[in-house]
Amino acid sequence: MVACMPVVENPVPRDPADALAAAVALRRLADQLEDAAVEQAMREGWGWPLVAEALGVTRQAVHKKHAKRLIAAGVKLRRRGDDRV
Amino acid sequence: MTAFDKYLHAVIVRAVDEAREGGSTLVEAHHLLLSIAADQEAVTHQILASVGLDHAGVRDALDREFEHSLSTVGVSLTAYDLPAPSPSAERPKIGASAKLALDRMISSVARKKDLRPPHVLLGVLQAQVGKVPRALARAGIDQAALVARVLQALDDDDGGQ
Repeated sequence: MVACMPVVENPVPRDPADALAAAVALRRLADQLEDAAVEQAMREGWGWPLVAEALGVTRQAVHKKHAKRLIAAGVKLRRRGDDRV
Repeated sequence: MTAFDKYLHAVIVRAVDEAREGGSTLVEAHHLLLSIAADQEAVTHQILASVGLDHAGVRDALDREFEHSLSTVGVSLTAYDLPAPSPSAERPKIGASAKLALDRMISSVARKKDLRPPHVLLGVLQAQVGKVPRALARAGIDQAALVARVLQALDDDDGGQ
């Protein structure tokens, strides 16, 4: 590492097993964050297009991934034509 | 259905529930381990208890592995306080690590009819990398010694037949 670089507190783990496990754990954390955040947004009345745009994915993708779960959880989903909150 | 088929079926059904409750779209090897630990089957139960593992113990070890793996890249789980998301409505599918564990279980016997409950645990414990070995290591459990215990229990059982 170059001497003038700032001290990095958490460099990428040297052990590939740690680095691979960290990638798995980060993916899981990102999934959990997405699930919780989408649910929170929809409970607050966001529509699918807005959630999709915020996530940088298509409406179809976000709907396919989350709609069933949120309907099962009893979240009231906005329909097209509802007034935007 | 043989007694073993019933046991395996119960383990897999419970593992699917573990995956769903954990917000996972896939059933993974560690869900099988959680399910095995929750089962009352005597031999496996005794093997796990001999290293101080029960369902809560496995869950705790897995949580610690998750936290530890995140910490190696500077992410602290305590920094996130989002409400737990509602569980998936879809039935999780069997993932690659669980498939491997079940394949290893089958490979551990010469004939399928020789399979007994500890073989399921054996299949899960044969992984050298991934969540299960890392979680066991976090819990201070010697995986090789645990495998030896499973093999011993299977041997003893053979002797008794």
